[in-house]
Amino acid sequence: MITIKDLTVSYEKPQKVINGLSLSLGEDTIHGIVGLNGSGKTTLLNTLYGIKKPDAGEIRRDGSPLTKKQMSYLVTENYFYANITGREYLGLFKNQAFDEDKWNQLFLLPLDQIIDGYSTGMKKKLALLGILKQDKPIMILDEPFNGLDIETCRVIRSILLRLKEKGKTIVITSHIIETLTNLCDFIHFLENGAIKISHDKTGFNAFEREIFESIENRNMQMIDDLMK
Amino acid sequence: MIAGFLNIRIKQFIRAMSGLGLFRVVFLSGLLGFGAFVIFMLSSGEPNSYYVTGGLVLMLIILHLNRRDKAFLKTHFNAYRLLFLVEYALITFPIALVLSIHSQWIPSLLLVAATGIVTQLDYKPKQRSTNSLVQRLIPSAGFEWKAGIRRSLFYIVPIWFIGLGTSFFIGSVPLVIFILGIIPIGFYENGEPVQMILSYEKNSHQFLWLKIKLQLILYSAITLPLIGAFILFHTELWYITFIEYLVFITLHIFLILTKYTFYQPNSKSPAASIFASIGAIASIIAIFLPIVWLLSIRFYVKSVKNLNFYLDDYN
Repeated sequence: MITIKDLTVSYEKPQKVINGLSLSLGEDTIHGIVGLNGSGKTTLLNTLYGIKKPDAGEIRRDGSPLTKKQMSYLVTENYFYANITGREYLGLFKNQAFDEDKWNQLFLLPLDQIIDGYSTGMKKKLALLGILKQDKPIMILDEPFNGLDIETCRVIRSILLRLKEKGKTIVITSHIIETLTNLCDFIHFLENGAIKISHDKTGFNAFEREIFESIENRNMQMIDDLMK
Repeated sequence: MIAGFLNIRIKQFIRAMSGLGLFRVVFLSGLLGFGAFVIFMLSSGEPNSYYVTGGLVLMLIILHLNRRDKAFLKTHFNAYRLLFLVEYALITFPIALVLSIHSQWIPSLLLVAATGIVTQLDYKPKQRSTNSLVQRLIPSAGFEWKAGIRRSLFYIVPIWFIGLGTSFFIGSVPLVIFILGIIPIGFYENGEPVQMILSYEKNSHQFLWLKIKLQLILYSAITLPLIGAFILFHTELWYITFIEYLVFITLHIFLILTKYTFYQPNSKSPAASIFASIGAIASIIAIFLPIVWLLSIRFYVKSVKNLNFYLDDYN
């Protein structure tokens, strides 16, 4: 069990991006974090992975501090070092059992070409290959489906479900709620730096409706006024 | 539009300076003041005034070819060349003025003309997927060299062979070692993603030593044959290339330490770029070398501290 307790994170004080967030993430499951732009999803993941220092609070796994050794992290921006090839990037991760070429049959990437020439979707696929090669027990994926075609989205979904069966814990963010309802065991809605509500599969439909209604109520009047 | 952009540039400059901290700003101001004094003295007569002009134009060309906002400016603004001209004129005008004060009219006019010409340059270097034998010889951990060699192999190879082939000329090998020593400075500009740092599975000290060791091996591999050839023809002057080699080794170590002192994932640190420039200057003006060596000690401590945040699992 991963336990996040009273987490507070800020970039420029006193504005808190994560504000006293507490959350328990059961293992061998897929957790979705959903929220509007700027709600703190990426900050939460950066803090979970340990590349953003929290102002307060703690993150533990079975009572011990969570370490980077236990996690792999797919960042949202698809950043790669310039002028290296896809194969050279994958070569940095030590896992003899991982057959890059076999896995690449799913993604069809030109691994011997420099990454700078890849499209956004290809970069995302390469980053995912890197995550799969690292083979860590906890996988943190920030917007993994952004920029991917329908086929690759389905492939990734199937891979993630298999990984869950193999005992991996997956934390995944998206601002598209439908992506998560089709994949996750739990969805947590993040608003103003705190978890507003959490649902398991049985509550997804009501949750989705509730979210859409709240968004519509908030904005429709303004849109009507502007479009007059 | 121009005034708006200049206003943004001033704000960017102020933000970069406040990010550096007061001590570094004072230190850099001192260095800049010294540099300005050197330029002022150099530009008083021929042929130095031409060298100053040539050096500045070269710097401007490199700056122009490497700036990343060109596509953005071209897409959104019709008068983007005028903006380039105004920005570059702010750099070159003081030097042109100094040259005029010293009655160096031709270099001054050349500088003004070159400023205009540079804004018209629209060359974008092609990115190559070269996977040469050299690339395969470089270990995965030396990704900076893999990337850097891929970018510059097409001129490193001819330079190296020219150096070797003309090693009987006394100045040939020292010049080639100098060029080959300057080139890797650009290899350490960008911060890699944090996953790449973690992939080494080493603590901060081990990580830094591995980087330094790799740099030492790779730089030695390209320069030692040249040094050997030089000693063969000029045995009594063996120490020239040897000292040059040692100076560049220390400069490269300084660069690595600078990079990781200011390292943040996926970004290029302005502070690191400024200190790397000091390193590059030290390779030409030896008076700066002790500063580089002293800073290396300080930066070793600071880079370990900075890396500890990312590599804490392995400490």
